[in-house]
Amino acid sequence: MTNQELTLLKNFEQDSEWFHNNNKEIIKRGFVNKFVAVKDKKIISSGKNLDELIKILEEKGENPSYIFIEFVYPEGFTLIL
Amino acid sequence: MKKISLEVYHFAGSLRIIATFLLRVEDPIKVFLPIKAIVDTGSPITLISSTDLQRMRISKLQLQNIPVKNNPVNIGGGQIFTKEIEKTKIKFGNDIEVEMPINFPVKGEGSQPSLLGIDFMLKTKSKLIFNPSKKEAYFEIED
Repeated sequence: MTNQELTLLKNFEQDSEWFHNNNKEIIKRGFVNKFVAVKDKKIISSGKNLDELIKILEEKGENPSYIFIEFVYPEGFTLIL
Repeated sequence: MKKISLEVYHFAGSLRIIATFLLRVEDPIKVFLPIKAIVDTGSPITLISSTDLQRMRISKLQLQNIPVKNNPVNIGGGQIFTKEIEKTKIKFGNDIEVEMPINFPVKGEGSQPSLLGIDFMLKTKSKLIFNPSKKEAYFEIED
């Protein structure tokens, strides 16, 4: 794995970890039922749908492929796979 | 013996085993991005979510044009259709790289996350070690 790949994976993992460890706080901050984009352990954008969020990210010069994006489920919601 | 570390988080109402890897496809589409997938031993296939597909900036219409037949997949009470892309590479942080077919959604409104299915475990001949009370999980792959 190249250094660039390793950095990309590490940053993505850290943002994923931050999202899951701070989920309750993210819900409290009013992001329920929205998609959020996380970079460097911060929410950099959010949107009610993914098209809207990806457009915002592109306008900011970000590549959505490399950004951690997740939907914020309401508390008590259970997803059965 | 090789080991792939996994994370265990409370997500969408349950404790989930999460795998993070780099996904690379060269043909028939070009794709390179990190993916977070739920390890799902109940899923026979590895499936990319619609959200991750949109992150790739690839439309379902683009995928529809790939000359591979659509597979029906029943998931969470609904049905979606996928295209199976044969030579997809997934790479983990410890340099383990696996080439295997992965399913991409082309039709239907599934809201499921990306799933790393039992096909991955069969391909790598791996064992899943999961201790929910300690929030520990990893794949063990015999050399």
